[in-house]
Amino acid sequence: MKTAFPTTARMLMLSAAVFLISGCHKPVAEDELFATEAQVAELTKDGHLYTLNELVDRFMTEQGNYLSDTTQYRTRANNDGVNPGIWLFSIDTLPSQGEGIYIRGRVITDDYGGNFYKALVIQQVVDGEQQALRLSVDAGSISGIYPLGQELLIRCNGFAIGRYANQVQLCVPSHNNNTYADNAEQKVGWAPGRIPFARFKAATTLIGTPDVSRLHVDEYTIQEIAQDYDIQKARTKDGCLVRIRNIFYTGQYEYNGTLDNCTTGNPSTDTYANVFAPTTGNVGYPQSRIISDGTPYKTNISMSEYAKQANYYLPGADSTGVEHCKDFVGTVTGILSYYMDNANYAPDMYNWSISIRDLRDLELYRTDDIEKRYDWLTNYATEYTFHPEEEEQQ
Amino acid sequence: MKKILTTLIVLSSFVSAWSQATLKGKIVDSSTGEPIAGASVTLANQNITTTTNEAGEFQLLYLDAIDEEVLIDAEGYESGIELVEIAADQTTTIPPISLQPDMAQSANQEVYLNILEQDFNDDEGRTQEQSSAASSSMDVFNNITSFAWSTGRYRNRGYEQRYEQNYIEGLPFNSQERGQFNFSAMGGLNDASRYKETVNPMEASNFAFGGLGQSTNYLMSASNYAQGWKVGAAGTNRNYKAALRATYSSGPLKHNWYVATQLAFRFSPYTEKKGQIGEGIDYYSLGYFITAEKRWERDQLSIITFGAPTSRGQSGAVTQEVYNLTNQFNKNQWGWNNYNPYWGYQNGKMRNSRIVHSFDPTLLVSYKHTLNEKQTIHAAVGYHYSLYSNSALSFYNAPDPRPDYYRNLPSFLWDGQLTENGDFIHTDYAGRPLGKTDGDGLLEDPASYNGTGIGHSIDYNSYKALTDLWTSRDDKATQIDWEALYLANYANNHTNPEGSARYIVERRHNDIQEAAASFRYTDVQFNHLRIIAGAEVKYSEGDHYKTIDDLLGGKQWIDIDPFAERDIKELATNINMTQGEIEFVKQNDLNNPNHKTGTDERFGYDYQIAMAYARIWAQNEWNWQDLDLSYSLALTYSSMQRSTQMLNGRAVYLATLNPAEAELYLGKKADKVLSGIFESSYTGANHSFIDPAFKLALNYKINGRNHIKLNTIAQTQAPWARDAYISQRVHDRVIENIYTHDHAQSLSDYYAASEKIVGADLTYEFNYPVVRGRITGFFTQFWNGSELNGYYDDEARTFVNQALSGINRRHVGGEAAVAVKLGTYFTLTGAASIGDFRYTSNAYSVTSAENGMALDESVNDAGKNISVYEVRDSVLIKGLHVSNGPQLNASLKLSFFHPKMWFADITLTYYDWNWLDYAPARRMQGLYYGVRADGTSVNGSYAQVYMDHDRSFDARQLNEDGSVALDKYGTPLLEEPYQWLAAQESLVSDKIWHRFVIDMSFGKLIYLPNRQSLSINLSVTNLTNNVNLKTSGFQQARLPRSTRQGEADGENSTINSNIWKFPSKYYYAWGTNFYFTMTYKF
Repeated sequence: MKTAFPTTARMLMLSAAVFLISGCHKPVAEDELFATEAQVAELTKDGHLYTLNELVDRFMTEQGNYLSDTTQYRTRANNDGVNPGIWLFSIDTLPSQGEGIYIRGRVITDDYGGNFYKALVIQQVVDGEQQALRLSVDAGSISGIYPLGQELLIRCNGFAIGRYANQVQLCVPSHNNNTYADNAEQKVGWAPGRIPFARFKAATTLIGTPDVSRLHVDEYTIQEIAQDYDIQKARTKDGCLVRIRNIFYTGQYEYNGTLDNCTTGNPSTDTYANVFAPTTGNVGYPQSRIISDGTPYKTNISMSEYAKQANYYLPGADSTGVEHCKDFVGTVTGILSYYMDNANYAPDMYNWSISIRDLRDLELYRTDDIEKRYDWLTNYATEYTFHPEEEEQQ
Repeated sequence: MKKILTTLIVLSSFVSAWSQATLKGKIVDSSTGEPIAGASVTLANQNITTTTNEAGEFQLLYLDAIDEEVLIDAEGYESGIELVEIAADQTTTIPPISLQPDMAQSANQEVYLNILEQDFNDDEGRTQEQSSAASSSMDVFNNITSFAWSTGRYRNRGYEQRYEQNYIEGLPFNSQERGQFNFSAMGGLNDASRYKETVNPMEASNFAFGGLGQSTNYLMSASNYAQGWKVGAAGTNRNYKAALRATYSSGPLKHNWYVATQLAFRFSPYTEKKGQIGEGIDYYSLGYFITAEKRWERDQLSIITFGAPTSRGQSGAVTQEVYNLTNQFNKNQWGWNNYNPYWGYQNGKMRNSRIVHSFDPTLLVSYKHTLNEKQTIHAAVGYHYSLYSNSALSFYNAPDPRPDYYRNLPSFLWDGQLTENGDFIHTDYAGRPLGKTDGDGLLEDPASYNGTGIGHSIDYNSYKALTDLWTSRDDKATQIDWEALYLANYANNHTNPEGSARYIVERRHNDIQEAAASFRYTDVQFNHLRIIAGAEVKYSEGDHYKTIDDLLGGKQWIDIDPFAERDIKELATNINMTQGEIEFVKQNDLNNPNHKTGTDERFGYDYQIAMAYARIWAQNEWNWQDLDLSYSLALTYSSMQRSTQMLNGRAVYLATLNPAEAELYLGKKADKVLSGIFESSYTGANHSFIDPAFKLALNYKINGRNHIKLNTIAQTQAPWARDAYISQRVHDRVIENIYTHDHAQSLSDYYAASEKIVGADLTYEFNYPVVRGRITGFFTQFWNGSELNGYYDDEARTFVNQALSGINRRHVGGEAAVAVKLGTYFTLTGAASIGDFRYTSNAYSVTSAENGMALDESVNDAGKNISVYEVRDSVLIKGLHVSNGPQLNASLKLSFFHPKMWFADITLTYYDWNWLDYAPARRMQGLYYGVRADGTSVNGSYAQVYMDHDRSFDARQLNEDGSVALDKYGTPLLEEPYQWLAAQESLVSDKIWHRFVIDMSFGKLIYLPNRQSLSINLSVTNLTNNVNLKTSGFQQARLPRSTRQGEADGENSTINSNIWKFPSKYYYAWGTNFYFTMTYKF
């Protein structure tokens, strides 16, 4: 530091100040914090350790046990005319007392990219088969303590198992009377909500240290996903970590079953702009962009408008349009999602999407130069911004 | 300057010959007969004051030969009054006057310094400084109020501490950065700081120009201290639990040397019991003081050094909801409102996350030369190194670790469940009941809750489960979960070994080095005139940086701004940069990008502010038969210049965005700024100021016992370095009016930056043997004050800095005190103060994000977004009360003294008119009118549809048919938002008995053989355990999103009741607490 004061005087003072370094605290030892298998056995001996699917099969019902008056569920939870006997929203509470209800699974999400928010998805491999469950927890940046690859043991007592837009999740009952939202009257009612963080933390034990190499990925073709969009069957596939090869962005979005090219509009005002996730007008639903593998089947890659790279052009897109999107082909890895929040419509293949953790999940290469990987670091954001030079040109 | 000197000389020539009477005397301790040094001796009728020397002697020259009343005042002693007859044209020598020790005052002084130290916390709120100048026991009013009113955080005349001047041996000791005096520098050294000269606001001082508030000059020459040893021990239940002290004073040694020294050790291990005062706090402080003095016939040379390395844990203000919840547990522990969110268990032991380290090593040399009996010279030089730092948790891509973070509280589970006071409410905002409640304001039963009318809410069992964690004070949910922080870091070491730790304990340093010199010349050679002239110079360097105290098991901390990284999406859309290029914006040091920071190195920011200060002043004091007149002039030069060792990515980014502005403010071309990336450091513009000041004081002596005094001041005050910069951790842009000043075109531009102050007070003072007292009215007007705030902005979702300027305010009020002797043993003292301290204008503010992101944007004609990085707007504060302690106070104190040295007193104090500090962010013009002061429009506001800027009906808001505007549900919009948000909350309890505090003290002095003595004192504060006295508090600046008018429930069409989601935070007075001391003198 440049200073007018002599540094020797400073050093003397600082050494005198060593006195101040009081309150040394012994660090918490690492091995005390991560549970061993023996400790898991000890912890779960007051109850039963369910697999993820067992938990759902055992406790989740179609209409949910939380409310006998089903009109208090979200208005669009059920429409017998279109989807007889199917409930898109449900809540089954788990007993808070009595036998312990335990599950374990490895975290397959990461919220650093901003595409997952207050949510974790865990997977468990049982007999070589992947099972997955969403966990709705009220904590931002939750991957900071439950990182990708971390195995968790959760005591589920006092929580609930339910479906939100047909996605099965561990949750607590929550009421929404958001009368100032768009289509508010259709969204009022009870639905799965986020578990208060303090309660989730108290119920959760970390088993071993995180290990990304132990994540299980199922490979699918788009056809395998798109063909199978039965509402009830989709519940077990939803949340699984999957990979699809040889895909490219078509530069399209889907609306009511029809596809259209994305626009070159301003992503802060145009919800169809040719970026990953333009504005939703503060409604907050994930934005989807169509991918194809050249077959007639299509699916989406979805991203939140709050994600870090939401306003970046789709690979190959630019201010002139989406012409060159198909020039980038490769692999996508992400969480398979089946999202259906309105019972007034019949499902179709566009209920499926892949939620990527961040852009590293997109491994795309130029078709004319296979060495050139799509790299978001060298990509430009959209050009909807003010520049003095541009102003002068106009 | 020439003019001033000429004036002085001309005025001096008016001196006329008068009588040559002289008075000599000596002041001694009534019990031991020891001389009392440093006692102030005042002739009541002639209003002349002097101080006793180390032999307890005094001498007053050029007196009127009349009957006089000699008032004697000494620290640690009861005041004395003696009637004398002064003979004309000769020296009258009176017999020694003896004073009785005032033990209560000694004990109080210690308690009081403890409060000052505790309040020195700059991390939270807008203004947390509550400290006040040391007392002047001479003044009846100050004598009672400075101790008795400290519980209620009374501030003399509502002035901030920066308006009070503090000197040590004539050297200016207020910080150049903040204007404050750091009392913790002398922490625990009660004997060392015992002797001082204190001057009431604006009155003439004989050691410095003084100022608007009180002025204090600590006298630390060794000969002041009474010869002998003094050892003492104290026990208390406050922030520290015990203190040990030893003081030694040599008295005269060989060759006229004197030495005095004190050691003070104060300590407390962690206060383990939840709910107790000082919960979760540990405290260690070792104070040392050594002074040596050499005297010659005409010269005195003193060398003084002191310091008090201190480490102390802190406690934080919380919302009423948290108090309500934790009091469920605390009330069973006999503790109320003592919850402290800053600590948690680690390995089963308490650990506080916020530990202050302070150490102010100081070295002073003072010199006094007596030219002759009438002319003296004082000079002093000193070096002061203030090391101050505070620790705090920091986190990166991980959940907020604070247990009282609003998302961790039960209220977060039920939308709109807080009142503006932070209490739970039991009905929704439409008045529909949510269930019956228990007496402590907690929701008990959801039976009648039907799920309508409120927003998001969780089911009752889930809510209850979380509430139970709070009411039982669960260790992990309601305190810092240190183990979870280690766990996160260890897990991260496995998945991301090169990455940043998730949690660390960082330490924020604000060190200041100061070198100062002062000189003054005092001349009493002219009859009736005392001339004092002086000069002070000071150079200070403020050093601001962060270090890491503890990586909590992590491997390293990557030195970037996590908020800038998070908002990179916004940056990407704001400028035409690739993601890769934009990476530099988040860097805290472009010369050292993504630096892996370990412990013991600087990170985050590393900047210095160099400050120069020079003042010359002169004062004439005339003393005539019926009138004293004094006038003083001062001229002050000050300057500040910021330089940085780290090149902040946001600073460079902002400078390149608008090259014209870069040049305007930084004085450099944009390309020069960019090339700065490759320089090792960067020095900003130097800003300098010249401020004149003038004081005038009149004392009209109706007769010997009745005086009328008038004091006035007019001055300008340059902004303090802390308030001058818009965002000083990031760049060195200054507030607009400093820029105007730097480019002054006219005289008014020249004073654009300085605060202007005009003040006056008028006092009637009376002094009879049985009764004495005073009544004072005062008036002060401030123009163009400035201050800096920082807070988390919910709309922009980032930390913002908000620089306020153009703050005008007026302090009007009165003080009165009377002391009546009731027979031999009792004295009854009463004091009252009433004030009306208000803002008289709106303020102007510049708000910018610490992480460099745009706070707003608008779309230009070409359809392109224009980013707004600095939001300029008015802050609607006109008419608000200045929040600076209670403005209505009254005390009644009954003191008992028995000649066998028993002492006791009991004081009843009433506090009222205390207001919550406002958050500027909640009062922005744009929020209510939709248009900011700079003409830009606000996207979504609490639009004042019924009102215009002058709060009259706004015709533009009418429908075509002349009816009022409707919201989207067809409901008329109300004027409620402004009323709701703009009302300033009173901190005063509705229940009148909550406004009273009773204090008591009791003592005994035991004389032992060989001039030894033992004194014992117990003082008990807040005897009746009034735990409902809110002393201060602040609004959280954060305003929730989506609560704007028109977005609410159709039935009511008010703003969403979530508006209180971030309620105010409060400090409560401690419950019953005590301070017990025993001192042995030998």
